[in-house]
Amino acid sequence: MTMLSVHDLSITYRTRSGPLPAVRGVGFDLERGGSLGLAGESGCGKSTLANALLRLLPAETEVTGEIVMAGQDVLGLSPGGLRAARWTTGAIVFQGALHALNPVQTVGRQVAEPMLVHSTVPSGDAARARTGELLERVGLPADRADSYPHQLSGGQRQRVLIAMALACDPQLLIADEPTTALDLMVQAQVLSLIEDLRRDQDLTLIFITHDLSVLTYVCDDIAVMYAGRIVERGPSFEVFERGAHPYTRALSAAFPTIGDPASRMSPAGLGGDPPTPGNLPPGCPFHPRCPLAEPRCREEEPPLRESGPGRRAACILV
Amino acid sequence: MGRKVLGSILTLAFVLVFNFFLFRVVQTDPIGSLFRGRNVPAEKIADLREKFGLDEPIGTQFVFYVRETAQLNLGISYQSRQPVWDEIARRIPATVVLVGVSAILSAVIGTIGGIVAAWRRNSLRDHAITSSTMVFYSMPDFWLGMILLLGFAVVLGWFPVGGMISAGSNATGIAWLLDYLHHLFLPALTLTLAYLGEYALVARSSLLDVMGEDYLTVARAKGLRDVIVRRKHAVPNALLPVVTLTAINFGFVLSGAIAVETVFSWPGLGKATADAIRGPDLPMLQGMFLLFSAAVIVFNLLADIAYAWLDPRVEKE
Amino acid sequence: MSLAMQRRRATARRIWAQFRGSRQGMIGLVVLVVFALVAVAAPLLADIAELNPVRARAAGNPQWASPGEFGPLGTDHLRRSVWAQFVWGSRVSLFVGLAATILTIFIGSVIGILSGFIGGKVDAALMRITEWFLVIPFLPLAIVLASVLGRSVWNIIFVIGITSWPSTARLVRAQVLTVKQRLFVDRARSLGAGPGHLITRHILPNVSGLILANATLAVPIAILTETTLAFLGLGDPSSASWGKTLEEAFVNGAIVRNAWWYFLPAGIGILVVVLAFTLIGRTMEEIADPRMSRRR
Repeated sequence: MTMLSVHDLSITYRTRSGPLPAVRGVGFDLERGGSLGLAGESGCGKSTLANALLRLLPAETEVTGEIVMAGQDVLGLSPGGLRAARWTTGAIVFQGALHALNPVQTVGRQVAEPMLVHSTVPSGDAARARTGELLERVGLPADRADSYPHQLSGGQRQRVLIAMALACDPQLLIADEPTTALDLMVQAQVLSLIEDLRRDQDLTLIFITHDLSVLTYVCDDIAVMYAGRIVERGPSFEVFERGAHPYTRALSAAFPTIGDPASRMSPAGLGGDPPTPGNLPPGCPFHPRCPLAEPRCREEEPPLRESGPGRRAACILV
Repeated sequence: MGRKVLGSILTLAFVLVFNFFLFRVVQTDPIGSLFRGRNVPAEKIADLREKFGLDEPIGTQFVFYVRETAQLNLGISYQSRQPVWDEIARRIPATVVLVGVSAILSAVIGTIGGIVAAWRRNSLRDHAITSSTMVFYSMPDFWLGMILLLGFAVVLGWFPVGGMISAGSNATGIAWLLDYLHHLFLPALTLTLAYLGEYALVARSSLLDVMGEDYLTVARAKGLRDVIVRRKHAVPNALLPVVTLTAINFGFVLSGAIAVETVFSWPGLGKATADAIRGPDLPMLQGMFLLFSAAVIVFNLLADIAYAWLDPRVEKE
Repeated sequence: MSLAMQRRRATARRIWAQFRGSRQGMIGLVVLVVFALVAVAAPLLADIAELNPVRARAAGNPQWASPGEFGPLGTDHLRRSVWAQFVWGSRVSLFVGLAATILTIFIGSVIGILSGFIGGKVDAALMRITEWFLVIPFLPLAIVLASVLGRSVWNIIFVIGITSWPSTARLVRAQVLTVKQRLFVDRARSLGAGPGHLITRHILPNVSGLILANATLAVPIAILTETTLAFLGLGDPSSASWGKTLEEAFVNGAIVRNAWWYFLPAGIGILVVVLAFTLIGRTMEEIADPRMSRRR
């Protein structure tokens, strides 16, 4: 059964300096219980996409296309229906910087808040009890509920955000850069926690990051984004090891793999910066940085094409 | 917290030292000034000089001064020949009411205005609120009082032209209260309008900062309604800087009362200060300065403590 | 022209271009220029002799004449032209405002730079003094000082300068600390540069933008303080600032006589000048620190 179906999604921010197309015609399906990794550098549109799934973008943003989550047309929901669906159908694990948690409220109160809003528990005491359970499930002692965010370490805050996301038993979990700001050791712990939770609760997972190597641990499939579009899609290990798109290959090479000392010694970086949404190069947006670029690349933006069994890439060389 | 209290006491001590030495510089002959224009025999003056210890070295005089001040013996007013403390004590209630009412109103109205302005940033409402508060804040507070007095008391006759109670009135109970409020209205309105600008500005900018924070998006993602997000997450965090501001602003409102009380002949400490300037009634000025400073120091300390109690990020000792 | 000079010119031009683009900044600047011209051209706009009450009486001016009956702004209780008082008053108010601000900025900057640069015990001591000044309500302090020192223009300037420097000092010190951090990551010190060189060549240029913005916002405070001190009778009796006009109007019963023309113009003058400086100051703050405009 399809948990999430995105079709031709385009998101354009309206700013004082003109419209900025952050996401351009993205589409993908995700089966129930599946796990999709969304990889790309800053500015490629992945966080925008994540926020769009729960319609969290600023009111003036133009969103076209279709998002169907657990059978509901997200973009067509009424405000009441949308609020009801948020957190109960799909929940986001935000990046755990101090800013994702309200600094003047205890973490326990923030974890319990969605339970009380959606009335998934019968009373305040029940909420408190469940908060304790959730904290223990993510590896924190239950009494941490009375701590304030600034009293916790980065890793602990990230666990709190995971517990918070699970508060209303969502079917879909969207993890937006959950390990980015953490030390390597803590990263590994959080990743393994997410993997355990996914298995135990049969969650459908979308994992967003700029670190391609991390996705191979937690996700079955990977979609690579560049300049607002998906430029490659396929099973995670294959995409990582044998990327069809030149950008994917560059991305894999740029990060040392956890546990592989050799790759730490010779990371290969990619020159230049990703284009900003307002300044997309003509044709294939990657061609200015692509080592295999040809004159044809400047003319037309290649669509996603079959590049192998269950794999697609948006490059003319496929 | 002990350190804060100690700091305040230290500051108060500095004020005492400053007060003492500054006036000693000017008051070359305090006893002589006291009896200026009066026919007093020379032995009496010398006698008093000795009694007040004015022949002693300056260090002893300072100790004497501190001891006397602690006993609320602040000297004798040149103008009224009454003890300074009596003159001050008599007028404290009037100023406390005026400044208290104005400070509370300006804080509440200003903060609400700032929050409303920030929530719909750059709207017509926002521009109207920010511009009007900026205009009020840019004019001399007593000039605003003069205009209000002219418009509402002289021209329209809706309010009395000055004072605290109607002259020759012996009303009691409710009638007295209504008369009092009738007289209080214009001066309180003046001080409130003059000082709500700062609150509006700080509340607005503080809320704008909070509105950019991620935890608001998180709250919305959890399914909370916009109104609840604002009430439970945005506004409480935005109010913290406003608490600090009340301390700073209190000093200004208190000082603003000096000129405004003069305009409305409101018989409080402010008007007494203005009258003392005309003398110059130096003992009165000395006493006023001490009192104003002490009030602001104490209020700052209270606001500091309140802030530490409200913000969980501040280290609790 | 040396490279440093060229860069400084380019920076100045860039700042001016940014300033010109700001509507609030330009409105403020235009208004300020108008008032500056009025102050400078005072002798052309109104004869100073008209401020002399003896002459006014001799000329047979009416008393308390409203604007329709006499001159553009009527007369006061001493038969003097209110318009002349307004024009000449602008000079004193603007002068005192600017001079007091210069003093404030000078003291504040020196203390802020020394405190931030030297650090340690000197810093602690200077900051203790600064905090003390900040806690004391500054109007009572100004009143006390002015009463003790006597009523003259220079005393008023001194009093305002002495009571207003703390906030400048704090701002400058914070900025110096930021620059100092950057500086010591920089190579300047390892080149053996002495403190004098470091201060003038590295710290000052980075701090001057902030100082300028702060100065522009300090002028309104100085003007308002002078106005209040004059209203309370501490102004210089021989020079007629706008504050003094307000004092005379009040004391001589302009309100009960409904002689609005006597005190309205001076107040409006103060209001407009203060607003102008505030607008300019806010614009300069935004230019010096672009994050400010995001908040507005």
